[in-house]
Amino acid sequence: MPRMVRLIWILFALHLALGMIAYAHFLVTGSYVVLGWYFSTLGPVFFLVMTATECTLAIKCRSWFDSDEPMRLAWGMIACAALARLGGVVLRAISDGNFARGYWHPFSLLPGGLFTNLSQLGLVVGGPLSMAFLAVGLGRVLGIQRRFHLLGSLTRADKALLVLVVAFSVSQLFIILPLFGGHPSLGTMLLWLSDPLLSLLLIEAILVRRSVIRMGQGLLAKCWGMFVLAIVVTSAGDAAIWAGSHNLLSEPVTALSWYIWFVAAAAFASAPAYQLAAISLTRGSSLHLVGK
Amino acid sequence: MKLHGRWHPRSWRRRPAAAPGSEVNFEAAATSGLDDLEARLNHWSDLWTKGNEPAVRSEAQRVVAERLAAWMEHCFGQHAQSSLRGKGGQISLASSTPIFTAFLGRRATRELSRRVLQDL
Repeated sequence: MPRMVRLIWILFALHLALGMIAYAHFLVTGSYVVLGWYFSTLGPVFFLVMTATECTLAIKCRSWFDSDEPMRLAWGMIACAALARLGGVVLRAISDGNFARGYWHPFSLLPGGLFTNLSQLGLVVGGPLSMAFLAVGLGRVLGIQRRFHLLGSLTRADKALLVLVVAFSVSQLFIILPLFGGHPSLGTMLLWLSDPLLSLLLIEAILVRRSVIRMGQGLLAKCWGMFVLAIVVTSAGDAAIWAGSHNLLSEPVTALSWYIWFVAAAAFASAPAYQLAAISLTRGSSLHLVGK
Repeated sequence: MKLHGRWHPRSWRRRPAAAPGSEVNFEAAATSGLDDLEARLNHWSDLWTKGNEPAVRSEAQRVVAERLAAWMEHCFGQHAQSSLRGKGGQISLASSTPIFTAFLGRRATRELSRRVLQDL
């Protein structure tokens, strides 16, 4: 495992261990005090570190490709997605007052009515905007993989999953369309794009997963595999939010589902780390001795 | 064709005239062109190393193929080689450079090629 990837997952494991202590305290006492502190203080710090790492690594990956190489655009889009996610985390942290508690509160209300508050702007930037960038980037990668015949044929399970994702997206349209009559804010309308964009990302993830299975366990295969993991986990988190809002989950399970987002953040950060490890291998490894 | 006709959008979409009685398939032509280019590159590599004994040459080719296979496995995975081996032949620099360039970038591929050919 590359050093940077190991570092990301060690950090994740330490963060999760602290989270489990907070969760155990919640289970024993039934009080949200420690759990709330963990998710309002340590959670944003973890997201900040992970998204900043992802953004820096993705920009580094992009710099390894010349301007006429197609992967430069792909990594550029992935870097933009990471930057948008970082911006979203910062905006939400400022809005919730997690940085220098109290100081940022006067800025949390936005004038103009486009977005109801800074937190919603953060949700839009870190959600649909980031997803749109990632969808373009992954689309580009799929195009390149197709050119090299790396895309495997879809299995019945893949096709069934694709049908399910498309059906879900269409069903969302029927829920959203009547809501337009209530003159929602621009921020609310943009947030409605989250589910269709996540569906698009899931479709791309299914196709990328096929290519990863076709390739094996190399560094680049793991890079794209991490994106697949992050997208699937994000979808699971989304589903958990939906289930929680419909009272389908018990209180302890709802609290446990909040940890899903940390897995997604670590997976997103690991993806460019794997790509950079593959590039670095060409510069300083002893692989050239293989076969001697 | 009149001069202004050349600038008409319709004429932009017009396909070039094919030879009478022939079906021109541009996709197929592109693929066979790449195969042809690869064969020519391999042929030129053989000519380049003509001074060497055939046994030395084949040994060098085998070492290059093994090193490339190792790189391929590290970067892409153990199954990626099969899709590049093409028509049953060994992996060569000519056949593997495009995929390495696409996914690692030109600069990293240049470095990789240098390492593969080192000490040969």
